[in-house]
Amino acid sequence: MSCMSDKTGKLITDDGSRLDGRRADEIRPMKIEIGVLSRADGSCYLEWGRNKVLVGVFGPREAHPRRMQRADTAVIRYKYNMASFSVEDRARPGPSRRSIEISKVSREAFEPVIMAELFPKTAIDIFVEVLQADAGTRTAAINASSIALADAGIPMKGLITSCAFGKVDGQIVLDLNKEEDNSGEADFPVAMTQDGEITLLQMDGHLTSEEIKKGLELVRKGCKEILEIQQAVLRRKFETPIEEPAKETSMEEISDIENKVVEAEVSMGYASEAKVVEEIHEEVKFFEEDILVKIAEEETVTEDIQEFEELKNKIEEPESLVEEKTLKEIIVAEIEEKADLKASLEINPKITEFEELELIEEEYFSSDAEKMTFESEEFAEDKTPLYEQSINEEVTSEKTFESKNELEFKDKSRKKVHAEEAVKVEEKYEKENSKGPWRVVKDPSESGSKGDKDE
Amino acid sequence: MSEVIATLKKDYIYNLMVKGKRQDGRGFKDFRDIKIETNIITKAEGSAKVTLGDTQVLVGVKLQIGTPFPDSLDEGVIITNLELNPIASPDFEPGPPKEEAIEMARVVDRGIRESGAIDLKKLCVTVGESVWIVFIDVHVLNDEGNIIDASCFAAIAALMTTIVPNEQQGIGDNVPLAMKEIPLGVTLAKIGSKLMVDPSLDEEAICETKLTIVSSSDGSVAGMQKMGSVSLTEAEVLEAIDLAREKATELRELYLEGLVRKG
Repeated sequence: MSCMSDKTGKLITDDGSRLDGRRADEIRPMKIEIGVLSRADGSCYLEWGRNKVLVGVFGPREAHPRRMQRADTAVIRYKYNMASFSVEDRARPGPSRRSIEISKVSREAFEPVIMAELFPKTAIDIFVEVLQADAGTRTAAINASSIALADAGIPMKGLITSCAFGKVDGQIVLDLNKEEDNSGEADFPVAMTQDGEITLLQMDGHLTSEEIKKGLELVRKGCKEILEIQQAVLRRKFETPIEEPAKETSMEEISDIENKVVEAEVSMGYASEAKVVEEIHEEVKFFEEDILVKIAEEETVTEDIQEFEELKNKIEEPESLVEEKTLKEIIVAEIEEKADLKASLEINPKITEFEELELIEEEYFSSDAEKMTFESEEFAEDKTPLYEQSINEEVTSEKTFESKNELEFKDKSRKKVHAEEAVKVEEKYEKENSKGPWRVVKDPSESGSKGDKDE
Repeated sequence: MSEVIATLKKDYIYNLMVKGKRQDGRGFKDFRDIKIETNIITKAEGSAKVTLGDTQVLVGVKLQIGTPFPDSLDEGVIITNLELNPIASPDFEPGPPKEEAIEMARVVDRGIRESGAIDLKKLCVTVGESVWIVFIDVHVLNDEGNIIDASCFAAIAALMTTIVPNEQQGIGDNVPLAMKEIPLGVTLAKIGSKLMVDPSLDEEAICETKLTIVSSSDGSVAGMQKMGSVSLTEAEVLEAIDLAREKATELRELYLEGLVRKG
């Protein structure tokens, strides 16, 4: 206060820069250290210009005296204290009226964000020591307290950021220093949440409402800058470093879907591996979508023509049929086998599930070949003429190569392959006849790999 | 006790607010009835009692010769004190002023000091040696809400009727205290999404936050203080400033401008 009297020189030069070289909308340089006190639950040392502020946070801890306790929430206590050596003329130690007021408004600045209701009957203590003062100590203390609270792990809805504006030489400027504050015409400290809600507001001096409006804009900008500094400091202490992946992900790894997913889930904590999992999920999703699309298309029987052409070709070429059997052939062979060796049906349970089998079996034993053909046609009803045609041809060719089949089935391993072939064809029929996707959510490649495993 | 009752009344007051009404039938921008009595304490150099609804505040101004502050050797000194006497409310306890009292005293003080209400240069007796010290003592007699506006009102009314006792010190004739400005504090309480002036005791107890704005006769703002633990948006602050300035102008014309020359 004593240095105020003979400061009459200009505080802002004609080109708009201030005594310390700042522009009107610039804050003083800020330096923050976190976790500087070992005994406090959270702490912060902050330098802002020539201000030096130290904050320690304790709690939530038992509230003393007990009558202070609140049954539904924690009490927040904020004590702003100035060291006697922090100002030009020694300050009387102990609480002054000024420090009591600052403590109250600062506490209220934090009450909207601290989730005190989580800790009933406790106290959260915030102790501020101003070690060196150079105007704007309450805003400095609030910025430091915000970080100390986060350091202590006190749940908060967001950080509180504080900055003042004032009027110097008739101009609205941000973050006054001591010289500016002494001869300034107004001082307007503000604290706000990350969303810009004002939690502390004080003012003294002389301002018009237009100047206040302009000042609030400046403060908003200043607070945004300070918030970035605060966040950077907290990130530096608490952010887990992202580790590089051990090796690059190849397509083979992606193809081994099941293993990968299990592996990656264990170490979800690492962003790089989480990314792999994500990719795999994408892959699987893509597959599933693809299948669903295919199913939908098959229901309308437009895309399947090519496959039936192939089937048709096979039937037309006798040589190929020696090796690759059609459904009917296999069924017939199966039935023969069953008649001779009753146990053979167990080879692939899917075949037993095939409802048509029993029907055909009966028909076979009644030796009614004509009826069988008819049933097959009925089986393929509502299909395209091409489809019907192929079925008819199938049945005809079955009769023709019956004798050859008998020879083939002496080789047991071959028979197994044919049984699998039957499953595939069966699945195809299932798809074609199904009305809903739930019956046919089968991946062609999946059934193939299953076959491999069985062997 | 009053806290519990206020919580019970919260819904009631909220529902009224939604309908645009208040407990005592006032509009959001209406003050309660104001009554000012000045010069009621003849032993004091100036005094005023303000009755705001049922809230009663008495301010006495005493002047004493003292030494100036080293940074303002040719200016008088203002010292403001506010006491929440136990007589005013069952919630007030005897003892040194608590933070609420200190805060209010400082807001009243800042309004007077920063608006330049008192011509402090005229209170200098000998430069650097002796000046008049103006003690503004606010005594709250009955708390029915909004002590701070009543205090601002009473303080400025008391100052406007203060006589500087020069004769007592043998330094000339007694003169009225030189006044340059009439700052007035207007407090707005935020209840739900609404701002209402002059909160009653119940409104004060349940309101989210209060904002006091002290403005001068030229419409400029001399002091502001947010009290309470809920945030305000910038729009609300700007709205409050406009409302407070408007109300202050109105009250100043109605009750105070006639007082100036009376002294």
